Amino acid sequence: MELLIWLIPLLPFIGFLLNVFVIRRERTAGLVASGMVAAAFVVTLIAVGVLASMPPEERRIVSTAWEWINTGSFQVPFAIMFDPLTAVMALLITGVGALIHVYSIGYMHGDPRVVRYFAYLNLFVTMMLFLVMANNLLLLFLGWEGVGLCSFLLIGFWFERKTAGEAAVKAFVVNRIGDAAFILAMLAIFTYFGTLNFYSEGEGGALGFLERVGDIAGLRVGPNWQPIFVSTAISFLLLIGATGKSAQFPLFVWLPDAMAGPTPVSALIHAATMVTGGVYLMARTEPLFVASFTTQGWVTWIGALTALMAGTAAMAQWDIKRVLAYSTVSQLGFMVAACGMGAYVAAIFHLLTHGIFKALLFLAAGSVIHGTHDTQDMRRMGGLKDAMPITFRTYLIGALALAGIFPLAGFWSKDEILAHAVGHGHTPIFIILFITSLFTAFYMGRQVALIFFGTQRDPSYHPHESPQVMTVPLIVLAVGAIIGGAINLPVLHWLTNWLEPVLHEKAGAFNLWLALIATVGAVGMGYLGWWIYTTNAAKIKIGGKDPIYRYSGDIWEGMAEAWYLDRLYQRTVVAGFERLSDFLARVFDPQGVDGLVMGVGRFFGGLANGLRAVQTGYVRTYALVFTVGVLLVIGFMLWIAR
Amino acid sequence: MVPTSYYVLLSAILFTIGVLGVLLRRNAIVIFMAVELMLNAANLALVAFARERLGVEAQVIVFFVITVAAAEVAVGLALLVAIFRTKRTADVDEVSTLKG
Repeated sequence: MELLIWLIPLLPFIGFLLNVFVIRRERTAGLVASGMVAAAFVVTLIAVGVLASMPPEERRIVSTAWEWINTGSFQVPFAIMFDPLTAVMALLITGVGALIHVYSIGYMHGDPRVVRYFAYLNLFVTMMLFLVMANNLLLLFLGWEGVGLCSFLLIGFWFERKTAGEAAVKAFVVNRIGDAAFILAMLAIFTYFGTLNFYSEGEGGALGFLERVGDIAGLRVGPNWQPIFVSTAISFLLLIGATGKSAQFPLFVWLPDAMAGPTPVSALIHAATMVTGGVYLMARTEPLFVASFTTQGWVTWIGALTALMAGTAAMAQWDIKRVLAYSTVSQLGFMVAACGMGAYVAAIFHLLTHGIFKALLFLAAGSVIHGTHDTQDMRRMGGLKDAMPITFRTYLIGALALAGIFPLAGFWSKDEILAHAVGHGHTPIFIILFITSLFTAFYMGRQVALIFFGTQRDPSYHPHESPQVMTVPLIVLAVGAIIGGAINLPVLHWLTNWLEPVLHEKAGAFNLWLALIATVGAVGMGYLGWWIYTTNAAKIKIGGKDPIYRYSGDIWEGMAEAWYLDRLYQRTVVAGFERLSDFLARVFDPQGVDGLVMGVGRFFGGLANGLRAVQTGYVRTYALVFTVGVLLVIGFMLWIAR
Repeated sequence: MVPTSYYVLLSAILFTIGVLGVLLRRNAIVIFMAVELMLNAANLALVAFARERLGVEAQVIVFFVITVAAAEVAVGLALLVAIFRTKRTADVDEVSTLKG
């Protein structure tokens, strides 16, 4: 069994190595990469089967490969584990990942760097699996940084485009802020617990820090006038780390730009898996978060605020992928808010269903982009439903699932979060999230209307349906988006029961009225969005304004710019940094550094120039100096040193 | 018997002439002769003190000095010939190419 769980991350890693060192042909690269991830999925399924056959309280397998770091009291094993939470994450990563790999074969066909693409993709899956399977924070951090690296490489995959390179750097730099907090959290955890392990390694091993959170109960740090609980400090640092990776306010600005990468990458990394890393981290370190009431409040509000900001921003985008990107940020906000309210199961449930239907939406969007010859502006689309029937139907299913229409996957998971908010008295949060879910339905209705209905507004291209290698993954994911909610139906609570050993959470009550209102609201808003943009289809011009702009005015502009958060950073952080760099480059470097370095040189040069005069080259001068020296020494010995 | 101080005085005079010769003359051959003068001034002092103290060590050293002086003259004159061949002069001030 231990060997089995090692196979899960190692199979994609072997695929990565093969793609880097052996494979040169496009076709082999795609097949090997997809095959390895699919094999990892099968192995994960077997491992889940084995795990299910164990008694619930013992469902955790920990396996240590070697002592990774061993210096004094700081010991970190290279250890992975497999427990119910890891299992569902690994299933999502390998399952959706395999489909996206297959889809990529069609999408990336003809690209000059396909082998490299698949190598990156396999490395990403490996790192993501290490992230969710790690049994200590440092190994988790390895995966965390590994997926960040792959994200950077894949956003900038088409580095010939300036925007892609800039977006890659932006994603990397913004993530660094969260990572710095993550490292601080690790240091704090090691200081107070003496270990970075989550759980003990097998029977009789030392306990991991998640099993001894009681150790820091009541401990305070900080200045005497304002001490804070250690649990608050640690969990808050982890929260900052999560806001970077999971694209939460105030660090979500990198995700919409990350859409410069290939669309399957957006589906896999920037919708289904990597960006959920922060949510996973919070669920995994749930005991630390639950221990701090303060942090939980911050988590909830950051999540809710992000959901609302990004949800409104998604309504005003023209780029097909940016709508989905902001939608992803918004849905991640739902998950984070759920974590903050203590509804970890609902958060993971939404993470899983969102992973499926958002991957579907992105892949279908990729199919649209592919079929319209790299068109991304929705103003240039319209009326594509006849030319791309499969893409249209699967997109519609994904959109309905995201909007939360009964009985698709998104309905169940979103409803669970909303029900928890109502049931536990988080009324303001509930109102924000409910409004956001209405917006969600609206922008999906808008998007479907803009892409698939009406008439084609830009006749310069001939849309066509994508090849089977792309449509089959779409169909599989569409089926998943329809039935995905079944894993945690209100009465059965499979997922809640499955995660019970890890998250210790009891199933919440199903709120029928809420479900009814939410569904009616979603249907109404979705229809409204569809209706507005089909009846006004004739008014939409390429490069023109949105029909709603007439009524909302500058609010629409604010939404389109995501409430100017990006511009705020541009004007403060980036501008300040550029000014500092400018000062360093134009003033400090030439005058300060160069002045010092060149000054030393000039000083010795001048000194040597003065001393050159001594070297006359006349032998007799040297002899004279020599004689005078001798006379001085003799004089010294005779008269002074007697 | 002539007092030792006379020899030492003579030695000092010879040495001074030698030093001044090296410092003041430009002709390399004369400089060599001045150097020989200094060496022999030292020899004279050594022999004078040896006689005063009735020892032989200093007299032995004198033989060494004479040997070394002969070798030095051989090398020095060879250098001089080489310099003369390239520079067509024996003036040491003309050989100042190592000027800093």
